[in-house]
Amino acid sequence: MKRLSLKSGQLIKALAAVAILVSSHSARAEETPGFRRDIMPILFRAGCNTGTCHGAAKGKDGFMLSLFGYDPGGDYYRIVNEMPGRRLNPAVPEQSLLLKKATGEVPHTGGELFTRDSEFYSEIRDWIAAGAPDDESDIPEPVGLELSPDRFVFEDKTTEGQLKVTALYDDGSKRDVTSIARFHSNNTSVIEIDEDGRISPSGTGDSHVFARFNRFTIGAEVIVLPPAENFTWSNPAADNYIDEIVFDRLEKLRINPSELCDDETFLRRITLDLAARTPSPDEYHAFIADPSPEKRKAKIEELLGNDSFADLWTAIWSEQLRIVGGNYAPVGTYIKAADTYQEWIREQFRKGRPLNEFVADMVVASGSNIQNGPVNLYTMLSHEPKLDPKGFAADFSQVFLGIQIQCAECHNHPFDRWTMDDYYGFVSFFTGVTRKPGVESREQRIYYDTKAAPAKHLLDMRPVPAKTLGAVEPVSTKGDPRRELAKWLTSGENEHFSRNLANRIWAQLLGKGIVAPVDDMRVSNPPVNGPLLDALSEHLVASGFDLRSLVRDICNSRVYQLSSQPNATNKQDTRQFSRAYMRRLRPEIIMDSVVAITGQQRNFSGFPSGIKAIEHYPRTGGATSGPHFGDTFFETFGRSSRATVSSTELKLEPTLSQALHMSVGNTVQPRLSANGRLKKIVEKSETPIESLEELFILTLSRKPTPYEIEGLVELIGEEVKNVDVYEDIFWSLLNSTEFSFNQ
Amino acid sequence: MPLRPFLYSAIFLALTSSSTRAETINYDEHIKPIFRQHCLKCHGDDKQKADLNLQNYGAALKGGSGGETLVAGRSSRSILFQSITDPDEDLRMPPNKPPIPEDQIEMIQKWIDSGLRESSESLSMLKERDTSFKPTATSGNNRPETPAMPENWPELKQPETENPLPVLAMDTSAWAPLVAVADQEQVKLINTESGELLGRLPFPEGVPNVIRFSRDGSVLMVAGGRPVESGKVVLYDVTSGERLTAVGDEVDAVLAADLSPNQKLIALGGSGKVVKVYSTVDGTLQYKLEKHTDWITSLAFSPDGKTLASADRAGGLHLWNAESGGITLSLLEHKQSIRAIDWRPDSKILASVAEDGKAIWWDVSDGFPAYNKSDIHTPKRPKGTYGLIPNGVLAARFSPEGYLATTGRDMTVQIWNPDGKLEKKIPVEGGLPLSTAMAFDQSCVITGTVSGEVQFERDVISKQ
Repeated sequence: MKRLSLKSGQLIKALAAVAILVSSHSARAEETPGFRRDIMPILFRAGCNTGTCHGAAKGKDGFMLSLFGYDPGGDYYRIVNEMPGRRLNPAVPEQSLLLKKATGEVPHTGGELFTRDSEFYSEIRDWIAAGAPDDESDIPEPVGLELSPDRFVFEDKTTEGQLKVTALYDDGSKRDVTSIARFHSNNTSVIEIDEDGRISPSGTGDSHVFARFNRFTIGAEVIVLPPAENFTWSNPAADNYIDEIVFDRLEKLRINPSELCDDETFLRRITLDLAARTPSPDEYHAFIADPSPEKRKAKIEELLGNDSFADLWTAIWSEQLRIVGGNYAPVGTYIKAADTYQEWIREQFRKGRPLNEFVADMVVASGSNIQNGPVNLYTMLSHEPKLDPKGFAADFSQVFLGIQIQCAECHNHPFDRWTMDDYYGFVSFFTGVTRKPGVESREQRIYYDTKAAPAKHLLDMRPVPAKTLGAVEPVSTKGDPRRELAKWLTSGENEHFSRNLANRIWAQLLGKGIVAPVDDMRVSNPPVNGPLLDALSEHLVASGFDLRSLVRDICNSRVYQLSSQPNATNKQDTRQFSRAYMRRLRPEIIMDSVVAITGQQRNFSGFPSGIKAIEHYPRTGGATSGPHFGDTFFETFGRSSRATVSSTELKLEPTLSQALHMSVGNTVQPRLSANGRLKKIVEKSETPIESLEELFILTLSRKPTPYEIEGLVELIGEEVKNVDVYEDIFWSLLNSTEFSFNQ
Repeated sequence: MPLRPFLYSAIFLALTSSSTRAETINYDEHIKPIFRQHCLKCHGDDKQKADLNLQNYGAALKGGSGGETLVAGRSSRSILFQSITDPDEDLRMPPNKPPIPEDQIEMIQKWIDSGLRESSESLSMLKERDTSFKPTATSGNNRPETPAMPENWPELKQPETENPLPVLAMDTSAWAPLVAVADQEQVKLINTESGELLGRLPFPEGVPNVIRFSRDGSVLMVAGGRPVESGKVVLYDVTSGERLTAVGDEVDAVLAADLSPNQKLIALGGSGKVVKVYSTVDGTLQYKLEKHTDWITSLAFSPDGKTLASADRAGGLHLWNAESGGITLSLLEHKQSIRAIDWRPDSKILASVAEDGKAIWWDVSDGFPAYNKSDIHTPKRPKGTYGLIPNGVLAARFSPEGYLATTGRDMTVQIWNPDGKLEKKIPVEGGLPLSTAMAFDQSCVITGTVSGEVQFERDVISKQ
């Protein structure tokens, strides 16, 4: 105890306990642990700040940490300063609640996280003993992670591997963080990974394992091979770069692709995919009869040049841009505006407008919603009276980049690279988007208020000026920042944009994205074939963002033209495109096919008669928020309700009500006479077999099999000219799974 | 409760600025034009959304379907004021419009806080209030014959610790130059005049979170324990250092406790959210208070022994009948954890301080915040920072003469006179000031910091 001489009127400090006992611990030669450098990683690794524990939005059991440590300053405050004396005891560090909870010495919902003799324990103890200092600004910032190895191939299930994680810092230094990183596997039925980064195969296939440290996630590809015995690579011919890349991958995985599909299958597949309907009997006969070896290529060219191709892609974009026509004045989604927008999109696809320019036009658009189609990006993507920049930025990023950034509104994205800075900087592009009433009633004019304040960071309320994703510096602040946004977004150098477009186009034609779902691209959801996505993206950019060019490449590939018939090696494959995957047709295509086959129109209320289902978009007499299918048929068959931009709004799973609708509903039943087509077929045919063939070609674009002929001829019996009998057969063909699927 | 203008105009106003202009703000001249501009379309004679009509004074006071919207003197408790200042755009009035201009909002706030006058002729609806400090039996003139001082305490070694324990608690005797200060598993007593260490008391139960001298200075209460393990309240005889009794068998450290003036009751609480009141005579539980929704952070018996005040981590503050445990008043104003409550020795005023940056002097006769001070301990904003910075008030303690000492996250200790006026503001060094107390004769204010330092500041109160 130090004695103090006290002088009146002076500030006197009585040091209560100056003698600090030197315990065995302080003898450690190492430097003092720092909070951000050493303690935060321990909280992360031990799982303290996960979403189910103290990282939950309100914390757990009265103690909150930021989710996975996005807010070290706040965590420091909560541990050290929020309730001094409660969580840390600098006098006797071992008595600190933080340590006693973590070691399970006192009741702890999270149980024991580490032991008293662990490295983690002594680091935290030493940090408390050193006075629990904050090392803000003293330490280098992590800028990324490295994995070694970054790829594993296991010949069998008996071998194991070890992941090593290295953190890279902004001062150029590196640190092995394997012992403080967290690990997880994307598919534990293929590969398992333990908390120390040891990986062991559990089944054959391919997957990824991930390491996370600080705000970074990094993945390594893992392949567990099936036995090499009994496998011979079939060595199929590669028709273009797509085949080369997919087959290269399949060979490595010891999977043989299926055979090339036959001409009948190809014709139906390509017509459904490019013209959004089934091929007509005339098209069928012409194609089958064509002896040219180049006829598939020629067919693709023919269909690409058809307006139906543009109509299909208009429908796809209309859906993801959430076009709904309404009548509720405050929201700007007036039917006239929706029409203008839909028509503008159709025009762009008909004239083959480069996709990047198409998008850029919308991003920078200003003016009247009923005069200027593209401006309706700002009235349709969010059907609200006032544009909410946050919600809009999230939807915008999901549609145009395939990236979901909304996690970063409240915390750095836990499984991706996006930080709160990225998020708020991106939101700031839209804080100035404003509407004012136009001349006509329900007309609204969109303009950019350059004086609008940027979005504020949730943690510290700091304004974050408009900044593109991943950028450090904000864009130039002169004028409307959307111009800078469009420039960055649609540039060929912005991989996020071109990969998103390429992936969505691929998914449209193959039934599944290389990244799936297509609008959830993130580090922890990697492409199943990275080089393939890269190549498609590069070709898209090289073609000047020409939709038809990439579709042409894909449709001419052998991969696109594979049969759906599996072989012994690819039965299990559901992700590497070794065979054609069966795809339920979009509801509009089912309807248009029924109309094309029966020759009997379907009218849609509010639209001129004769429009195709694929040209239809939902309209309502009221407000446009909420789900809108536009027609009960569409609703039954899972059309996107356009309630959100999510790709999962479109539901292509078959349901019981769909089966009931096809069998007894008002779509097939009233059209069975097919405008006299059936009668004509039966009259023209000399044998029932001939009638059956024409009926099959009309509905399924193929000839019946001998087995089918045998059964049906028996069924027809004597009634060879009775149209009613053929109507029954027609009905059952339209009700077959084969009809509503593309295979 | 019907609101009726009182005969006299308010003696004081709970206002930062009390210019004459502010005092004469009234409905007819100042407020109705604002209502007309922003509110009457939906809340007027034509339409009464939520049954609220602001078009005439009487109807405005009556309120709407949600009850009264105006509370005289308390804009912070007036629904009308809350809804025009709501930070959430979706909830703010008027809906889908920019907020009411700041100068008009300020006008409405002053109108409410100055007592809701109808016209320039009207009187304020604020009640006449006498909050002046009067020395009473339990404060000024009841000096014990020989105020207790430690005498021949058994020798106790300083605890062997890695660092000094943060000074989590301290208290001064009301009659002697004596301050008791928390230490690791100990309490040390220091002479406030010489700074000399007089002795150490063992508290093997753990860390002391609360230290209180009895009103007569003869008994020392120490409450605390080990977090999430055990908690107790122990009484010591100040003269002999002898351990008198211990109550409580808690499963977590006791965070709040007080000894009743007649020394018959001990109230304690903590993370269990329940206040338990024990008899010191036989250690039995007398009653429990189960109204709190969060950890109990502070407890205080009124010096007249009639009332027990309890505060929690969510800002809840209640007054109870100290004998029976029946609730008498809820004092709702704090939005965050209340760090300390203390009674002025005349039992007329209860002070509460909280992490929301406020210090409130409550008139306990009707539960009105007689003085409501905001942001009194807000640190200077570091360059380049935005948004909220921690601005909590950490400790508060009255002197026997009704002066209040407060400490906060701005690293200062402040002295407030009995009328709620700031007397002195003194910087504290050595980290967050966690505890404070004033010497019995007000000769100095003592502050304990997170780094374990005890500081004495003298001549803080100007002699009249």
